[in-house]
Amino acid sequence: MFSLVLAQAEANVDAGKAIALALGIGLGSLGAGIGIGNIFGSMIQSVARQPELRGELQGIMWLGFALTEAVVFYGLIGGLLAFVLV
Amino acid sequence: MRRRLAPVAVFLGAAGFALALPARAFAQEEEEKFDPSVEFELPAWVEIKLGPLDMSINKAVAYLWLGSAVTILIGLLLMRLKLRVDPTNRQTAGETIYDIAQTQVAEQGLPSRAIGRWFPYCASLLLFIFVINLLGFLPLPLSDERFELAGLELPTLGIYAATSSISVTLALALMTFVFTHFEGIRDNGPVRYFKSWIPEVPKAMLPLLVPLEILGQLMRLISLSVRLYANMLAGHMLILTFIGLIFVLESVLLAVVAVPAATAFYLFEVVIVVGIQAFIFAALSAIYIGSAIEPDH
Repeated sequence: MFSLVLAQAEANVDAGKAIALALGIGLGSLGAGIGIGNIFGSMIQSVARQPELRGELQGIMWLGFALTEAVVFYGLIGGLLAFVLV
Repeated sequence: MRRRLAPVAVFLGAAGFALALPARAFAQEEEEKFDPSVEFELPAWVEIKLGPLDMSINKAVAYLWLGSAVTILIGLLLMRLKLRVDPTNRQTAGETIYDIAQTQVAEQGLPSRAIGRWFPYCASLLLFIFVINLLGFLPLPLSDERFELAGLELPTLGIYAATSSISVTLALALMTFVFTHFEGIRDNGPVRYFKSWIPEVPKAMLPLLVPLEILGQLMRLISLSVRLYANMLAGHMLILTFIGLIFVLESVLLAVVAVPAATAFYLFEVVIVVGIQAFIFAALSAIYIGSAIEPDH
């Protein structure tokens, strides 16, 4: 019984890897999505309160956006590495 | 207003048409399985090997040469040639780039006494990365695939960015890494500079925190290079995969969804990601160099 399951698992290892990659990146992007939403939400709030600071805040906003967004890609690269190497 | 929109429509049409072209190459070789990572393999065009060093000329090198040439041309045409007091459109564009490089990049990160020395480096990083990122989204005949037209074997039009190869971004990040510590030591003297790496905490904590600080310096190198590399790689991969889905699942109906989706991602990459990533790389370089010059801040 166990060996049957094991053989089945061997055959499905590629599918398993694909599912793991997709799940990993999908769940990983969840956190970055929240983070990016936070950044733009705070930006809207601050501009609503002090519109004259918009120019100064914009640079910081894009910096934060790119730093947060990059987290997904670390996950993607890690997932792709695991996918190719394992 | 209508006149302004016409070139945009022409550009969009041309871009959409050209994006479909490399896909057509896949359609001809139906037995071959579609694999978007093929686009990122770099077979050597001219093989140059110096011992263990592989310095072959390949697609990425060609893109880098083209990028350098375009960057130099932009610098000369927009910022050097026939400058006037009442600026033309050409000069205004150059001044805009210079203004962003000065106010958004250099002045944010560098202390004011170091701007004269390091502004050129940060500004060229900004312009150079922007240009090679943008070249990566223009369909250029530098692909490794060939097709025949009137008896001539021509390379297919393909999109590929030199920055979607980690060697390129790692080289750029290494430059910032070396300059950071070089400038830190030159400006502060080696003793004061390395002393600034030791945080002010109780002595018992030091064996834990100093390795962390050194690790952090190396992590900067990795995060700086992987951020740009992964962004460009993922952007190209997304577009190629969406177009490729049509051929993998062999259904023309899918084009109704896949082509607009690919176009949307293409526009997102060209309008936002290309500029942001160049800006981030230059701004972080400026911040790192600035923090090495004034470690107490």
